[in-house]
Amino acid sequence: MSEVRFHGRGGQGVVTTSKILANAFARTGQFGASFPMFGFERRGAPVTAFGRFSDKPVREKTQIYNPDIIVVLDPSQRNSAAVFLGLLPGGMMLLNDSDNTINVSHDNLRKLGIINANKIAQEEIGLSIPNTVVVGAFARMSGLLDIEPCCEALQDYFSGKKLAANIVCARRGFEEVELFDL
Amino acid sequence: MTDKKKENLTKVMDYLKHKDPFSKGVAFCPGCGLELLLRFIPQVIGNDIVITGTPSCSAPVLLGQNNQSWHTLSYFGTLMTGAAANATGLARYYRKAGIENTVVCFNGDGTAADIGFGNLSGAAERNEPFIYICYDNEGYMNTGIQKSGTTPYGATTTTTPLGSAHKGKNLRRMNLALKMAMHKIPYAATATLSDLDDLAKKLLKAKEAKKRGFAFLHVFTPCTTGWGYAPENTIEVCRRAVKTNYFPLWEAVNGKIRMTKTVKKPKPVSTYTELIKKFAHMSEEDLQILQDDVDYEYCMLGGLSLLEGECQLPVSSED
Amino acid sequence: MITKAQKKSQIKVITGNAAAAIAAKLARPDVVAAYPITPQTEIIEQISQFHANGEMDCELITVEGENSAMNAVMAASLAGGRVFTATSSWGLVFMYDAILAAAGARAPIVMVNVNRETPGIIAVSSGQQDMISTRDAGWIFLIAEDCQEVLDLVLQAYRLAEDYDIQVPVMVHYDGFYLSYLSEGVDVPFQEDVDQFLSVLKTQPERTKLVPGGKLGCGSHGILLGYLELRHKHVSAMERAKAKFEQIDKEYEEIFGRSYGGLVEEYRMDDADAVLVGSGSMCGTIKAVIDEKRAAGVKVGLLKLRMYRPFPSEAMIKALKGKKAIGVVDRSLCFGFKGGPIYTELKAFETKLGGSKMISFIDGIANTDITKINVATMIDTTCDLAAGKDVREVTWVSYPEAQEEGGL
Repeated sequence: MSEVRFHGRGGQGVVTTSKILANAFARTGQFGASFPMFGFERRGAPVTAFGRFSDKPVREKTQIYNPDIIVVLDPSQRNSAAVFLGLLPGGMMLLNDSDNTINVSHDNLRKLGIINANKIAQEEIGLSIPNTVVVGAFARMSGLLDIEPCCEALQDYFSGKKLAANIVCARRGFEEVELFDL
Repeated sequence: MTDKKKENLTKVMDYLKHKDPFSKGVAFCPGCGLELLLRFIPQVIGNDIVITGTPSCSAPVLLGQNNQSWHTLSYFGTLMTGAAANATGLARYYRKAGIENTVVCFNGDGTAADIGFGNLSGAAERNEPFIYICYDNEGYMNTGIQKSGTTPYGATTTTTPLGSAHKGKNLRRMNLALKMAMHKIPYAATATLSDLDDLAKKLLKAKEAKKRGFAFLHVFTPCTTGWGYAPENTIEVCRRAVKTNYFPLWEAVNGKIRMTKTVKKPKPVSTYTELIKKFAHMSEEDLQILQDDVDYEYCMLGGLSLLEGECQLPVSSED
Repeated sequence: MITKAQKKSQIKVITGNAAAAIAAKLARPDVVAAYPITPQTEIIEQISQFHANGEMDCELITVEGENSAMNAVMAASLAGGRVFTATSSWGLVFMYDAILAAAGARAPIVMVNVNRETPGIIAVSSGQQDMISTRDAGWIFLIAEDCQEVLDLVLQAYRLAEDYDIQVPVMVHYDGFYLSYLSEGVDVPFQEDVDQFLSVLKTQPERTKLVPGGKLGCGSHGILLGYLELRHKHVSAMERAKAKFEQIDKEYEEIFGRSYGGLVEEYRMDDADAVLVGSGSMCGTIKAVIDEKRAAGVKVGLLKLRMYRPFPSEAMIKALKGKKAIGVVDRSLCFGFKGGPIYTELKAFETKLGGSKMISFIDGIANTDITKINVATMIDTTCDLAAGKDVREVTWVSYPEAQEEGGL
């Protein structure tokens, strides 16, 4: 089971990122569970969400304290202590950033993916909502699932032109994420 | 009896198309206004109603005891807090199931104006398809005569008693009917027992209006025991309440008010209060405050009834 | 949960709230009353959307408060309708008089309550205190562990509430936040299968209904013997609900391929020396930790309560008898008692448990997370008790200060 923690801000679609991934896992016959950190949510405020992805049913109903993977949608939080809190050895990080140089470090971090999701989202959907790009990038970096179930999962959240554009976002995320071994 | 009076009597009797579903000798006080009203309603609008009632003076007769009952109507005995919501649930289910129905939500002023006003207002806002009747005896009579929101200025009750520091209720009554009319419901009206033809017409109009949504009747229903007047004076008390404009008779369609009875030369309110013991202690100054309140409300009502133009409110309800 | 080969299914990744809303839709209620409150709101939003889309042919009453929600569905139910409403916390408390009235009137209502705290500090947080505050209302209480069970229990609740031999309102409880906002795969049944599952109700004698002109009333003044008769019938119906629910669970399995074991679910109980008793979402986490402990040779199991009212004492005694130690985990408080409510109730049957020792754990109230570490602590303490060690009777797992203060 992979335990993933998502960090971002209200309005970035942080919880939805986690939901879409859980949905994609379910489509492969695997299991996914997604949930927000419990508290008041408001636009602009830091938002944390969790995801558990596994080939067996996910039974745990607790928050995640020791993630295998951290996903940062808001680049300003890239070096905050809260982001790395409890990261397990061999950990991975996916970072949404316009700067593709490695400027994060943590003892347990072994793999880093950087994707300029805001730029891609701006180009494809005209809004800098990075979540669907991040979904694609996550699939590639984690190696846990293919891009196709991710695109299928998007059908549950978008329709029509928005769906088509967001599928392009996910595919571009999958293709354009830059991976670094640390 | 003059010919004109005979004619009026015949008119009222003509409205009584259905049988009285209540047995004789029910457990009400002699001279009870509520009993007259309760027997009158199903005789005018039919026995095929579902009537809801709450703990109140109506309860001992309207609701059965164990498996015994004083009448043959379908009834739903419920709580004062949610009576209008109960009627909503009934009316909505019957609509869904295609069952022809007239739900009459029958409550005292304690339920309508006080503890159950929230859900009464909510049902009116949603324009629920049933008839709500408030029998107003200006207080909590069944629990032994306590003050309610419709208890008038000056009246004594067991919670506004006479004492050396305070004498009776020192607050004005609320105007429940006007509040309900302001919900712009298909039909709202006031009525009382001295004007039974007016009451009968309004009951039939309410039954018709219910097809378009919420209908509300506020019936002034004096209480011989709680107010302190002779049992044979119930109708006279009603008559004087109307003639002093203490309780004006009007109706409102979609919030547009129309007086159904205009009193040419209203008598002073003291001609009404003099019949009733609960006002007996009032000084001239106190009576003037009550008179001012009556005048003010009547003025407000008159103003609203003079508003020009036909009301074109689109009638809507949840579906 | 036992899962047979799926006959027909459509896995949807949805929240617990969405699972409740979809279950309500599948049950085809006649009347739904809706009023928002966190963390239940998503249920009534979804139902409103189904209604707006024409997918749900019901009378939707957007009431002005929870008290009216309960009153409206109570009356609609007694008139003969199938009804649904949902609430949480303060909303549940605000409809309390109507909850009592509905139970006494034997209105077969199905209501979802998304568990949330109710103390005077406006706690927008998880906890089962709202459930505990209404436990003696005369309703049947069912508790779900995950989003799938939310959906399954709502459907099963209709079979139970409307059964001719039962006719008691049913409340389906699940943890606010922990399940209400959790998205996971849920096997959503097809309408035809749900129709088949519920069709049994149509073959039963019609329940007494309040109809216009029917010369029949409800809500009489029950006094003396009349009242005693009705109350005793109510208590008897609650008792019958136990066997009925077991039967419904089996029939559910035949159609949908899922069974939970009825009143209680036993997890790795067979040779367990130590057992945790829990309910709701905590059970998933407890199962995961039990697997880890079992791998390390610790003989521990879980007894999950699915039905809380009526209290399934017989099933619990059967499952727990002879176990060396029992740790009961409560997500609520029982004022006037040191231990939690479920602990206190189980304690009443202590003499029938064949010498099992019992302790109480309080955790998960006010949103405190029942973590895997906390569960491991509870298991270790219960195992210590099983091994004959001296352990404290009541432990506030996330609040060690409670133990330091010496009050417990």
